[in-house]
Amino acid sequence: MELHILEHSLKVASIEKEGIQICTHGLVKLAFLASRTRCKFFSLTETPEDYTLIVDEEGFKELPQSEHISVADATWVALNVVSGGGNASNSQPIGVTKIAKSVIAPLADHNISVFMLSTYQTDFILVRERDLPMVTHTLSSEFTLLRVVNGEAVAAPHLGAANGFVKPKLAPRPVIHPLSSPSNMFCVTSLDPDTLPSVATLLMDVMFYSGGSKEASAASEDSGHIRFFSFSLIEGYVSLVMDEQTTQRSLINVPCPLEMLSSFTVT
Amino acid sequence: MSGSKPDILWSPHHPDRYVICDSELGLYRIGPVGSSETKPKETAATLLAINSDTPYMKCVAWYPKHEPECLLAVGQANGRVVLTSLGQSHNSTYKDLVGKEFVPKHARQCNTLAWNPVDSNLLAAGLDKHRADFSVLIWDISSKFSPEASVASEKSRFSAVELDSSTVVTKPLYELGQNDACLSLCWLLRDPKLLLAGMHRNLAIFDLRNTSQKTFVNTKAIQGVTVDPHFHDRVASFFEGQVAIWDLRKFEKPVLTLNEQPKPLTKVAWCPTRNGLLATLTRDSNIIRLYDMQHTPTPIGDETEPTIIERSVQPCESQIGSFAWHPSSQNRMVVVSAANRVMTDFTVFERISLAWSSTSSLMWACGRHLYDCAEDGAEGVQGAIEKDIATKMRQRAQSSYGHDTVQVWRNHLLAGGNDSQLKCLWYDLFYMKLCAEDPELKLQGNKQSLVHSGIKNIVKTSSGTTESRRCWSGSDRQTDVPRYHSEERCLALRLCGWISRGPDIDVEVFLRSLEHEREWERAAAVALFNLDIRRAIQILNKGATAEKGDLNLNVVAMALSGYTDEKSSLWREMCSSLRLQLKNPYLCVMFAFLTSEPGAYDGVLFESSVAVRDRVAFACMFLSDAQLPRYIDKLTNEMKEVGNLEGILLTGLTKDGVDLMESYVDLTGDVQTASFCMLKGSPGDVLKDPRVQCWIENYRNLLDAWRFWHKRAEFDIHRGKLDPSSKPLAQVFVSCNFCGKSISYSCSAMPHQGRGFSQYGVSGSPTKSKVTSCPGCRKPLPRCALCLMNMGTPVSNCPGTGKSDEKVDLTRENKLAQFNNWFTWCHNCRHGGHAGHMLSWFRDHTECPVSACTCKCMQLDTTGNLVPSDSS
Repeated sequence: MELHILEHSLKVASIEKEGIQICTHGLVKLAFLASRTRCKFFSLTETPEDYTLIVDEEGFKELPQSEHISVADATWVALNVVSGGGNASNSQPIGVTKIAKSVIAPLADHNISVFMLSTYQTDFILVRERDLPMVTHTLSSEFTLLRVVNGEAVAAPHLGAANGFVKPKLAPRPVIHPLSSPSNMFCVTSLDPDTLPSVATLLMDVMFYSGGSKEASAASEDSGHIRFFSFSLIEGYVSLVMDEQTTQRSLINVPCPLEMLSSFTVT
Repeated sequence: MSGSKPDILWSPHHPDRYVICDSELGLYRIGPVGSSETKPKETAATLLAINSDTPYMKCVAWYPKHEPECLLAVGQANGRVVLTSLGQSHNSTYKDLVGKEFVPKHARQCNTLAWNPVDSNLLAAGLDKHRADFSVLIWDISSKFSPEASVASEKSRFSAVELDSSTVVTKPLYELGQNDACLSLCWLLRDPKLLLAGMHRNLAIFDLRNTSQKTFVNTKAIQGVTVDPHFHDRVASFFEGQVAIWDLRKFEKPVLTLNEQPKPLTKVAWCPTRNGLLATLTRDSNIIRLYDMQHTPTPIGDETEPTIIERSVQPCESQIGSFAWHPSSQNRMVVVSAANRVMTDFTVFERISLAWSSTSSLMWACGRHLYDCAEDGAEGVQGAIEKDIATKMRQRAQSSYGHDTVQVWRNHLLAGGNDSQLKCLWYDLFYMKLCAEDPELKLQGNKQSLVHSGIKNIVKTSSGTTESRRCWSGSDRQTDVPRYHSEERCLALRLCGWISRGPDIDVEVFLRSLEHEREWERAAAVALFNLDIRRAIQILNKGATAEKGDLNLNVVAMALSGYTDEKSSLWREMCSSLRLQLKNPYLCVMFAFLTSEPGAYDGVLFESSVAVRDRVAFACMFLSDAQLPRYIDKLTNEMKEVGNLEGILLTGLTKDGVDLMESYVDLTGDVQTASFCMLKGSPGDVLKDPRVQCWIENYRNLLDAWRFWHKRAEFDIHRGKLDPSSKPLAQVFVSCNFCGKSISYSCSAMPHQGRGFSQYGVSGSPTKSKVTSCPGCRKPLPRCALCLMNMGTPVSNCPGTGKSDEKVDLTRENKLAQFNNWFTWCHNCRHGGHAGHMLSWFRDHTECPVSACTCKCMQLDTTGNLVPSDSS
């Protein structure tokens, strides 16, 4: 398997629900006017708590500074597992399970924090840029590491970082996080970036205004439903995750052929 | 094809049909407008059918086989591939194919479709990326929907769409490119089981015989992959503005990348009718850029940087939406504009390569056509079209034009005798020669050098001019016409050919020669200018009575006889006005002379149809010292300007003469005449003039190009006689094997200069040494491989030269015999002998005469096989 180290330098930010208004200009530009910016990696996720923004440094310039926005200090680098690399025989799709097992677990053993971003097209594993030498060292045994430079994948330089790194002891890790599952169903879908302008108003409505009424959100939380919406525009590919109600409310009339393909529960 | 981006597809089997697809499919037929005979180039397209059944079209592919002929696969924005048809009554046998749908597990855009050209059941579809699906799906269009158990559960996924289970196929034959995006596809022509795919960040070749293996190369250039139909290992792909050309045998990196365009490319297509021609189109552009890789060597190896010829063509004014090469018509394409779908039928014209032979035939190649254009053999239609100067020069070279150094004037006859300028030139040169050789003039020192300097310079030096008023011959009446005399004027008249020699001016010889040539009017005019009216009238009478004579000359004679010098006579009045109606310029100037005031002879001097020599002679007789140089200068400049060779009389062979000749050569290109003429010029500075050297060299090259090697040699000899400085020094010497000294004693005494090789080949000196040993060390010279005699012995007999008994051309036979004695040897095997022996040996043999030597000496000589085209 190949592990592509993408060239984007990413920032992860949290925008408070109250502060979303001051960011809308920049977010709209990043989401729907991609040709006006040099941003190539943009992801916006709305959860009941906040808006989580993952954006590359070019895109980050579009956003204002505000006390409503908290930015993680670190610069993140996205990794992408590609099945390619010679053996296409493995007909099993690479899912989160496989990535967790082959990428996340070895990194966890080395105490490297990761940040997962799943889209319709693929999964991205974000690691801190400063951890990159350790990451490549850890994963080089199992993956062909390729670094994307200027859009072209080239063999990543072997960092020869073995000295100084101590192989930690493998210990069984108990799952200690509480797990909850909302009762509403979600759809993940994609659409042709060319058709974005025609659905932009609908998407803007969903992004910024759907959670506006307190009662509605309160009511939904009572019934075990949570508010969740994710939009990403990464290297020209659009990916959307939203709950079924939202889909029916807003996108049922979208003049592009959207199909709800697989529904799964977001934890 | 989402509304704004049209595309064109030619029918694979109907050369006149194509489909334009944007939001719907339109089938067009292209054909000539009106009757095809009148304007075969005008074409028009007729819309045959429209199909708008398939919304959200993203890509289209045409079924590659004959039957069913109009079957199209359409890739949609949701990833489905639908088979549809255009403009056909649904053929029963293929009815079940039309409407068939191939649906991927997960919906995403279908980017590209490619129909296997051999196994036409296989349809490859390239889709966008999905986290849990493949991006290259190969469908079997003939597969029937089989209600398997698994399908039922799968079907639930398509709850949103109504599926007609009888026409929907959900199971692809092959699934390739997992967790990746496919942007372009094409089947490789070298093996129908190989599929080339432009994936998200790499180009991959999938082999259907072993789907677990793929060859791939990481690159950005993954759009629009397309195989060169003429070179199955060559593939083009692009990324934004850059095209990459790949060689599948050396797939690690592009063999070349074409210059990057500022705007992103939208289409790249190989020309199907011509080798190595790639057309590219960028967005918002009204030109198609063509890259000619025809002469590119097989792109293997890193060192070779192949050359590509880049051109742009503009098929129409507006911006181009898309284009498509015609599948069979040479270099033809249809272009559709982006804005209003205007279609243009366009043929890319090939660059023309042109070759002009030295014998004035022209040949050019355009595409697959070769055109030959030869000069019309103007034998029958004489004078209809003047022959090209090269043809003329060639004919003149064959008739030894320029080589008559005694009767110089005869050269104009050798040139064909129908060019008046050449006639004047050669007569001028003839008179110059006569004067130059005149022993009387030779005594006078500086006069001698004046001869070649032209009348312009001669009259300038004029001094001691005397004025005389002579009687009209045969009448005692005193004329009031002053006539001027001086030695220089006399010399000028001689150069004009009016008088031959001696101080007494006697034109009678000249008049008789003119009479002999039946130039009656000219003779009469010359007689009149010599103030002999009676003689003039006599000549005219003679002309009228002569065979085929003009009786009107009698009338002129009558008019002439009425001459009176009364200023206000009726005769004068009528003659001065009516003379202008005379067609013959000489008759005209006769009356002009008679009716002019003394010293005001503009009617004579500026009558341009009268030969320059006659006008100049007239001027020398009747213009004063003040008028004469002014007139001569004026006339000289006129001649120089128009490049009239008659002016050589005035300029002589001076720098002025070179100027004149320059404008003549500029006008005609006749370097031959220029070379021969200037060679006569004794002043060293004229021959040293770079222009003259240029003409001579060009003429020599021309002779070489015509393979007139003997003529060129003759010219060189001729040149060497007139210009000894042009003789090259001996440059090749035969040296003794033992002492290393030159064996030619005549040369050994000379200091060796100029060792550079030139065109002159071997110096003739070895023939002179009739010795069989080296003059330096007295060792014997090598033996001839054939007669086994030491070199230096004359050739006893010439076997094979059968000409010896045919013609009794002694001089030539002599020369041949001399050549037969020459040394000759092969530079490869170093065997040789007498030239005559060697020549006769190689007439019948290809190998060296020395036994056991297999050297093919004669064939090594590339010029030895060329045959001169002049016979002498």
